[in-house]
Order: sequence, then structure tokens, then C-alpha cells
Amino acid sequence: MSEVIKMPSMYETVKSEEEQKHLLQFTGNWFIDVGILGFVNLMEEVYGWDFKTLQKKINEDKEKVYCSYFPFAYFYKWLSDRNQKVNPKLIEKLKEELEKKKFQDNKDLFDFVWFTFICNLFKELWIRKRSELIYQNEAFTKRGKLKKQYYYKNTKIYLQKIGERENIINEILSKHQNEIEKILKVKKDLNKLKYENLEKLLNSNDESISQELKKLIELLKVKHEEIKKFLNEEWENNVINQQKFTGEESLFYRIPIDSGFYKNFLFFNNYVGNLEQKNSFYNAICSNLDEEEMLKKIDKSVNKFLSSEEEFPNINYTELSTKEFKKQIEYLFVYLLCFTYAFEKYENFGYMTFYSNDLEFSYIINKRLKLYKKKIEESRNPNLIFKVTWQQIIDSLVEYKSSWSLENMYIISYQRLDNQTQENVEYIGIPKLQASILLDDTIRENLNNSIQFRSEKFEGNKYCWLLKEFIKGKPLYPIILSHINLALNEERVPNLSTCLYSLILEANISEFKAEKEKQNGNLFSENYFDNYKSLINEIKEDVRFTSFGAGLINQISKDVDTKKRIARELFNALKAKDKNLFLNILLKNMNENKNLCSNTNLNNWIFNKIIKNNISFEMYGLILTMNLLRGRKNE
Amino acid sequence: MNKSEQEYVVYWQKVVGNESLRIDLKKLKDTVHNVFRNESDNYKQKLVYNLLETVKNHDQSRFFYILLKTINKPKEENFKELWDMLKGSYDVMPREAFINFAYSIIIGIMATYGGKENE
Repeated sequence: MSEVIKMPSMYETVKSEEEQKHLLQFTGNWFIDVGILGFVNLMEEVYGWDFKTLQKKINEDKEKVYCSYFPFAYFYKWLSDRNQKVNPKLIEKLKEELEKKKFQDNKDLFDFVWFTFICNLFKELWIRKRSELIYQNEAFTKRGKLKKQYYYKNTKIYLQKIGERENIINEILSKHQNEIEKILKVKKDLNKLKYENLEKLLNSNDESISQELKKLIELLKVKHEEIKKFLNEEWENNVINQQKFTGEESLFYRIPIDSGFYKNFLFFNNYVGNLEQKNSFYNAICSNLDEEEMLKKIDKSVNKFLSSEEEFPNINYTELSTKEFKKQIEYLFVYLLCFTYAFEKYENFGYMTFYSNDLEFSYIINKRLKLYKKKIEESRNPNLIFKVTWQQIIDSLVEYKSSWSLENMYIISYQRLDNQTQENVEYIGIPKLQASILLDDTIRENLNNSIQFRSEKFEGNKYCWLLKEFIKGKPLYPIILSHINLALNEERVPNLSTCLYSLILEANISEFKAEKEKQNGNLFSENYFDNYKSLINEIKEDVRFTSFGAGLINQISKDVDTKKRIARELFNALKAKDKNLFLNILLKNMNENKNLCSNTNLNNWIFNKIIKNNISFEMYGLILTMNLLRGRKNE
Repeated sequence: MNKSEQEYVVYWQKVVGNESLRIDLKKLKDTVHNVFRNESDNYKQKLVYNLLETVKNHDQSRFFYILLKTINKPKEENFKELWDMLKGSYDVMPREAFINFAYSIIIGIMATYGGKENE
């Protein structure tokens, strides 16, 4: 890893009251928090400001950040995400202009950025959209009325230019149908040309075509360029420089922007003109509730995780009024709009983000994850993403050395979110207990393994990554049981060290939990604050004690087959969860070996871990069983 | 050695009266170890085998029959210790409790093989 990301120091200087007020920090609502994280990511991606720099900029002049830098960054990213050309020079120019110029108020500042920079960004895309009109009559309704989106002062000139190009297209189609079909690789009769086909035609270098057609295509190119040039001038003159067009013309100059996520939300709405787009975006940034009816309620249009208030009027908790939020979070909608930017897309997996209760910590981990993105995507192993993610989280935790951050850590992922569907949304939390245990290197390394738990014949995933299961709080015992089953029946070599750690870990956790339960919910009992440090020591002590004690069982016989037979019988008893049967088989087989029976270590171990133990005897039983399989092949 | 050693487990409610019966399995095992130390190995192996058979079948009365018959040696001082223990805890036990009880005795006997302990 070439890039080194510094972790924040634990002790930071006390902030002034003014600074505190504008401090970017998490709110406790995960949806808003992820939005804040997305906002930080966005600003970093476009302006290269890291978290600290952004915080500094906000402290210096928050209006400038939210009303000018943010909107530009938002649209800049929107375009580059859709593989549209964006001019990076505009970023520097924006920074310069904002330093130089003085503005009356926020609105003035925003308007300036909107016309001079945002509209500038969209020039190419707008020209393309407007030159997509190929046939003049498509600008009119069936009744012969000009469609609203084509209404503006120079419509006539515009349509005339479109008409000139249309004539050439018609001539080409009527005279050179066969050749055109060959160039465009279409079989059907071409009566009408679509814009994609027009582009193909303009870019074709086919030398075999007739001279006449060549000439026509050249002419078509000229006409097409003329339209683009004309539109370019219109945009430059009327939008970017003059910012002069009427409300009626506004729709003609609409910024062509659309979103599957915020379908029809304010400025994404297809029937909203440029000026309305501008105003509603401004109102959203400043949460001007009186201006925008839609902003009064947050529902499905913004938050895919809430149901729509209109669709489900009887669910009253979805009636979230933004008014209350606004009191606490000044730029709420900025964050809500940035929600998706907190997520990183991984091929074959979907979108994912890491979320904890601390903004800076979440930011750092997500940043680290991005460095591994390529590695994750190249790998075919679907578990790798978890492996890398948790590795980063754990590394950061170890580095951070702050146990409070162990609490409330989540991975949020989804495959698809749009206005209709929410696909495979997962919200995986890491319990504090698990997180604390993972801080121990030895335990973690032993769990950080994939073991086979399904037969070779199984068609799906045969392997299971134990760390992931553990973090998810799922039991490891059934997986190890299947793993040992494979060792017994399919001659697989079992991973004994990993199994030993997993089983002892689980046994100790279940005993620990049982102990807690016994205290009968005495929340603030003595043990309550004694966190999990002693548990880690107990686990390690148990590993030592058990690996020696249970290891002695291997002396039960010198014959490999006998040991395998006993192992199989014991395994079946475990499968049946029959403690009595297990002990009966074990002791009956041991009874013939006097030395083994009276071996204090083994004897005490069986007594303590199996006979006396009603909570986790199965795990210890399995450890004993797998020890009978030890070194079968190599010994 | 570890926490579970000091644990006394409440096993069952006595049939008569409402006093909870507790049994210290460790003490039971140690007592058994003491009283069987001087018996011959062949005898003990056979005894263990018989006891294992009764536990396997959840046959509590047969288990106690064999056990009591074995320790019915008033002349040997050693066995009194075990008698005293059993006096306090003998009753019809729930299955789970019986298994723990029986195997503690069996493993206690097994620990004495070879006359003296193998360290």
C-alpha cells in the first residue's frame, strides 16, 4: 500500500464555540450520517479536500462551501459518473472566481455558480440533447402545437436548421437505402433515422461507398456542425454569459439531468425548466421549507428506506417533517442528496459502505477500502470483499486503540436502489463482544481462514470464511462439525488449529453469555464494566489447557483405523446431541487403556469440560473427536 | 484452575420438601477417587463397564444397585466418606443430573487405575 493515511489523534485541541457549531459530525441517524459521509467523499473527490481541509473551509465560510462549492461538485460528479466529458479546468476557475468576487447574499452566490459554472458543465450534454431532434415535426404535438420544451425566442431558426439537416437525411435515405443499411448494419427498411444512427453515419469511414453518398454525408456533417455551433452560441449567450431568458423559455434550457435514485425529485423532474431547477436546488440546499412544498416531508422520493407517505397514509411514523431536522441540521438536504456517494460500487457485489458512530473513523476506513477496490474486483472470491473490509476495520481498530469505537459498527450494502426497488439491502452490525475478541492477533489469525464445509459434489459454495460468520454472530460449531464430517468421510485433512480456536471461542462465549444471563439482567452488576478483556485471557488459557488435555486422547490406540472408528462413533453421538452416548462410547473405549484413564490431565479435562459442562460440552466433544484424526496421513 | 471448578449446580428439586439439592461433582469425584484407590484394577474395570451399561440405558435403580452393593463394606473406613455423600444426594434424579452424577463417579473410579496416579 503506497498511500499512508494518517489516523486522527485521540486528543484533539478543544474547539472554539463557533467551530463546534459548524463541526461536521454524525447525528445518530444512519441515513443522514451516511449522507454526511457521502458529502465528505464528494468534496474530496472533486476538490481534493480531505476531511480536515473540508472542516476548515466550513469553519471559514460555510455558505461558500454549501451554496457554491457543493452544487458545482454535485453536478460535476453527476456528469463524470455518466461518462460525460467534464472540463477539470472549471474547478480551478471556480476556486479563483470565488476567492475574487464579492456577493450580496447566498442566493447571489448560488446564481453565479449555477449559470457560470454548472450550466457551463452541461453545455455539451445540452447541445447533444437539443440536436437529437431529427425531424422538425417531432417538435410539434399531434394537433400541430409547438411542444413546450421547444418554445424559445429563436425556435424558428433552430427548427429551420433542423429542417435543413432533415432534408439531407431524407435524400440519403431515399437514394442510398442499400448502402445505408450496410453502413448501419440494419436489415429493416429504414424510413426514419434515429440519433444513434445519425452519429454512426457521421463517423463512418467506409471507403467503399459511392461518391455521391460520400458527398451527401459530408454535407450532412456540415449541417450537423452548424446546428451544434448555433446551439453552442445560444447556450453561451443566453445562459452562461447573459443569464437572460424568460420563464417560458426555461424548459428549452433545462439542464438534462435525470436520476433513478431521486426519480422526479425537484430538479430531476423532466418537466421543470432551468430556472425552476436552479431555484429548487437552492431551496433544497438551504432547506427553504416555505418555498418548496415537497421538502416538507421526507419520504420515498429522498429516502428509499422510508415508505411513501402518500402510499401508506396509515403509517404515521413516516411523516417525518423536515422542520424539526432543520433546527439541528442546517443543510439536511445536501446530505440526503449525497447519500449514494457514501457507497462504493464493487463489481459483482454491489454498493457498500462502512458506518460507525464516528464520522472521521468511518471516513478513514472507507478511504482505506477504496485502495483495495481493484484487488477486490479482480478476485473471483465473493468472500474477499468481506475479508478486505474487516481486515481494514480491524487494522484501524488496532491502530486507533479506542475501545469505544468498537460499538456500533456497521456495513451497509445494497445491490440496487431506485424508485421502484430496494434490492439486497444488508445492514450488518458488528457486536462489541465480537469486535473486542477480534482485536487479539492470535485468535483473529486463526479465524481468518476459509474451511471447506460442504462435500466436493456440492455445486454451490463449499467454503466458509469463519471470521465473517463470527462477526455476523453466527455459530461456528455447525460449520466445524461439517468440516470434521468431511474429514471422516471424504478423507479431507482437517484444519485443526482453526477448528480448535473456533470451538473454544464459541464455548467460552456461550459460557460467558450463560453467566450473564444467570445474573438475571442485573445490568450494572460488578461484571458489567469488566468488558471482554478477561474473556480473551480465558480463551487463550483454555486453548493451552485443552490442546494438551484433549491431545492425549490420541494415545487411546496405536491403530489408525481403530481411532477412526472411535472418532466416527463419537461424531455420531455429537450429531445426535447425545451427551450420554458420547461419554459412554468415550469411556468404554478408554476403559481398556489403564494408563490413559488415570492420566490426571486427560481425566480432569474430560470431567471439567464434558461431564460437568452442560453448556458447551458439544464443542469440547468435537475437539476430542478431531484429535483422534490428528496426523492420520503423515504419522 | 478455572471458574467452573467452584461451581455448584442446582440439579433437582427433592421429591419431598422444597429444598433444592445441590451436589458438588468435584467433591464427589474426589471422594470416589479416594475410596477406590486401593481396589484391584480388574475389579474396577469390570465395575466401570457395568456402570457404563446402566447409564447408557438410563437405568438409575440398576446403577445405584450396583454402586451401593460395591460400597457396602462396613469394615472399610474409606467407603464411609462416600456413604455420607450419597446420603445427602440420593434421590430420583432428572436425566441430565443423573448423567452428570453417574459419569463423575465413573471417571473418578477410572482415575484410580494403576494403583497410584499417573502424572
